[in-house]
Amino acid sequence: MAYPYVSNAEVRVISQYFGDPTHRRIDTYVKRGGYKALEKALALEPDAVTEEVKASGLRGRGGAGFPTGIKWSFMPKKPTRPHYLLCNADESEPGTFKDRELMRWDPHQLIEGCLIGAYAIRAQHVYIYCRGEFFEVNQILAKAVEDAYMKGYVGEDILGTGTTIDITVHQGAGAYICGEETGLMSSLEGDRGEPRVKPPFPAAVGVFGMPSTINNVETLAVVPHIILNGGEWYRQWGTEKSPGTKLFCVSGHVRKPGNYELPLGFPLIDLIDDVCGGIRDGNQLKAVIPGGSSVPLINAEDARKCELDYEGCVEVGTMLGCASVIVMDHKADLVKQIRRMVDFYAHESCGQCTPCREGSAWTARILRRIEEGQGTEEDLDTLMEMTEQMVGTTICVLSDSVAAPVQSSISKFREDYLELIRSGEQAGAA
Amino acid sequence: MSDVPIKNPGWAGNTGEFDLTEEQVRGEDFIGERPLHGGHSSVSATMPYMLIERNPEAELFEGEYQERFKKILTRYPKKRAALLPVLSMVQELRGHVSPESMDRVAELLDLSPAYVRGVATFYTMYNKRPVGRHLVQVCTNISCNLCGADEVLAAFLESTGTELGETSGDGDFTVIEAECLAACGFPTCVQINSRYFENVTPADVPEILEHLRVQAKEDG
Repeated sequence: MAYPYVSNAEVRVISQYFGDPTHRRIDTYVKRGGYKALEKALALEPDAVTEEVKASGLRGRGGAGFPTGIKWSFMPKKPTRPHYLLCNADESEPGTFKDRELMRWDPHQLIEGCLIGAYAIRAQHVYIYCRGEFFEVNQILAKAVEDAYMKGYVGEDILGTGTTIDITVHQGAGAYICGEETGLMSSLEGDRGEPRVKPPFPAAVGVFGMPSTINNVETLAVVPHIILNGGEWYRQWGTEKSPGTKLFCVSGHVRKPGNYELPLGFPLIDLIDDVCGGIRDGNQLKAVIPGGSSVPLINAEDARKCELDYEGCVEVGTMLGCASVIVMDHKADLVKQIRRMVDFYAHESCGQCTPCREGSAWTARILRRIEEGQGTEEDLDTLMEMTEQMVGTTICVLSDSVAAPVQSSISKFREDYLELIRSGEQAGAA
Repeated sequence: MSDVPIKNPGWAGNTGEFDLTEEQVRGEDFIGERPLHGGHSSVSATMPYMLIERNPEAELFEGEYQERFKKILTRYPKKRAALLPVLSMVQELRGHVSPESMDRVAELLDLSPAYVRGVATFYTMYNKRPVGRHLVQVCTNISCNLCGADEVLAAFLESTGTELGETSGDGDFTVIEAECLAACGFPTCVQINSRYFENVTPADVPEILEHLRVQAKEDG
């Protein structure tokens, strides 16, 4: 079995069975100790499950890094209305490709995590909102859920404990914004995936107006391991504030792109140079986006200092996001790539808030002008000023995600922009 | 599935360290004989997304599709939540979601036609007009773009002789740009109907198109 590119530096907790096609089968999964954590959890009080996850210090893997146990503890303790657990499998942040692997190689790990999570928050129904493009993944998940129903791990009276939890795999239809938690809820209700103003928070008024919790695929996939081995066990990796392991999706100009599960706090430069075999074609490192397209990019100098945990990334002026490391070498056309990202956000803006709807399209137009050699230096000031007004002024953070790459690239790679502007001016003069 | 071998198994195509069959990677051996377009007890629609053969005039919500529709309704506390899965079924059957289909869906779910139109046009996966038998979606977002996605897109356009978004004369191909398909480590990623092709280079394009033509002939 060869999952392409495995590194000795890896600690494979949730990715242990990547590349093993037999692991999708429920018999294999159970033989390897699967659903033992569910059994253990169901014997505990729901709050004890939440406490164990709190003790592990697990932080949400979807991007924001909010502590999972604390999120669960916001749910009402005495349910008077139905509770829902939503699994966010709408993976669509450019640079991110971990959830697809988690779901297609180890679907039962996610299902077990969903069941434990649902039990902890006293939910009787789990919706796995999986992006529609993932046709194969949807099929694999569906089959796995059906197998789990047949064996009595899902459905009524799970393992004879009297607990009932149903799981529905729901397919999206192609909208980035549905990965935002309240956008996902709108979409699940059969509406346009428009984010909602918070408060009320999902734990009070979530999907179908009921208390809900939303967790990322990777977060829920870790949960069975934490329940089985204890919260303390999970803290043997990572840092005090960012414990555990994380899947790093590395793409772009490295020799060995792929998913690597590493302890949080791993040095970024070691990830690039050692784990991923360095920059392709012997080129030089130019810039890195460490957390998916929505976070600020950093230059090579900062990349050498950056430690990959939630705090370490903030120290060099960026964010860990969902740990989607996009690497660019010195030949990369930076302005074009930034423009491509902004085009994406302009396309995916849901259109509710003016700063985002107008700002993203306008930003894209200016960037295209610069790329085509028609820009002026004043355009850069306009971009900075405008994107500043796009931060914190909208319902969700899609607008902020436009600002991040634009502002960071102008402040750190101004010369790239100026070169295009100057060469355009020269061509105009000639 | 077609027997025509294809050098690009997706996922790990270029690594040379790959010892699984394509079937194993895609989980086809695991999914087994499951009907491609069948209801599933746990999945709202199991949308094949695009069948090669489609009939824009097909009757909606009869027979098997009627069964699936009923099953979908049981999975949500509110009827409206069935809207996306139901639109997906329409597309599976007819290949696109026409205004007339939307009206029918509205009627079925007690929604206003304007509401259904508002939702359907929000999502990119619903084709608002007919597309070719093979809808080729080339990801040109950052990770793929860094590794030459623009050239792959150009190769598809050239080989199919189409303009971006237009359908070829024989009705076989429509080539469009896609936003990130979440396969960034295996660039360039191309989604053709429901299948991902990964690690695609411009040189692979003629082979992929030939594979599709043979497959269409076998299936049709």
